[in-house]
Amino acid sequence: MSSFLILSALVLLGTIGAGLVRVSRGPSAADRMLCAQLFGTTGVAVLLLLAQAYERPALRDVALIFAILASLVIAVFVKHAAIHRQGDDGG
Amino acid sequence: MTIGVLVDLMLALALVGLSLRVVTGRALFRDIVLFILFGLVIALSWSRLGAPDLALAEAAIGAGLTGALMLMAYRRLVAGGAEDVAPRRRPPLLAVPVAVLTGALVALIGLAALGVERVPDAAGTIVLEELGASGLGNAVTAVLLVFRGLDTMLEMAVLLVALLGAWAVLGEVHPGRLHQVDRRTPLVGALLTTVAPVTLLIAVHLLLAGTDAPGGAFQAGAVLTGCGVLLVLTGTVRPRAAAGLATKLLVIAGLAAFVMIGASAVALGRAPMSLPGTWAVYLIETAMMLSIAVTMTLLFARARALEPERA
Repeated sequence: MSSFLILSALVLLGTIGAGLVRVSRGPSAADRMLCAQLFGTTGVAVLLLLAQAYERPALRDVALIFAILASLVIAVFVKHAAIHRQGDDGG
Repeated sequence: MTIGVLVDLMLALALVGLSLRVVTGRALFRDIVLFILFGLVIALSWSRLGAPDLALAEAAIGAGLTGALMLMAYRRLVAGGAEDVAPRRRPPLLAVPVAVLTGALVALIGLAALGVERVPDAAGTIVLEELGASGLGNAVTAVLLVFRGLDTMLEMAVLLVALLGAWAVLGEVHPGRLHQVDRRTPLVGALLTTVAPVTLLIAVHLLLAGTDAPGGAFQAGAVLTGCGVLLVLTGTVRPRAAAGLATKLLVIAGLAAFVMIGASAVALGRAPMSLPGTWAVYLIETAMMLSIAVTMTLLFARARALEPERA
């Protein structure tokens, strides 16, 4: 059972690697930021799987922090986007 | 457990790749996003290495707060006319030998670390043996508050000095809203009413969990700072011209609690900085959490004090 959980975590980590392409290519700032937000969500899933697989309940707290502070980062980003909209195609 | 090794390998590859991209990248915004991801991967790596205390701190400070701070700094930079994409420049000639020597040093330290034998009476072993006497279940909290309390107290002093330094260069603060926010937007209300209380709850949970499980004042303080930054961002609080008594008390609370309990130990004839019981741990940790959160929120807001914005 635990190896199945770790295998799932591995697959999720693989999706993070694939998503890195979107962060690198963009093209808009919103694409990059939303990709980072999805990584946060994937990170929560990976942490929950690892917490179960290795019986470390503390990792669920790490997942909590991932979830709550992702909303802070996106709030800062949205404020930025509202003020500065034309600089979307950076990089 | 070969699948576990694959997870480690993937995390290590992601760390090296991301750090290379962050350092060598030329597009500011993309590199900030990559830096946030770098923080997330470090937190995952600490989790995998069995260090959830560090994972908590990295997730809160590295990925969350630093990411938010960098995005804010980016906004100011771009508003000030900075280019988002830096022009391509040839690296200086000195960079190559410096890179080679640094790589050799890292490899040397790594090889030396592989050959180090476990010392029987190392500090870590002693801490784990004496953990029962400290009355705490979490070795990290025991080290921070019981075994190395003086270091932690001085860390709180460093934080206070940082805030005083920021205040000294701040100049005059004009009372008023930090950010123009249209608070009639339903999203702002939804964000405040759901995220802020949950943040508060998680902070208190981490603080209480810290005595027996991973967590503690630093992680709780960082999460609580997230709540404070949210209030600043949404224009719920606004800066005041000068810090009142409440702000000053909150800012010194962590250091004061340490000093009072540590000094009263001497007055009562015990060893300096020895704690009278688990209640003292809770007291100091609560004071530290409040001081950390208030100090960092004030630093974020570039303010001497904050007061509620009256709608």
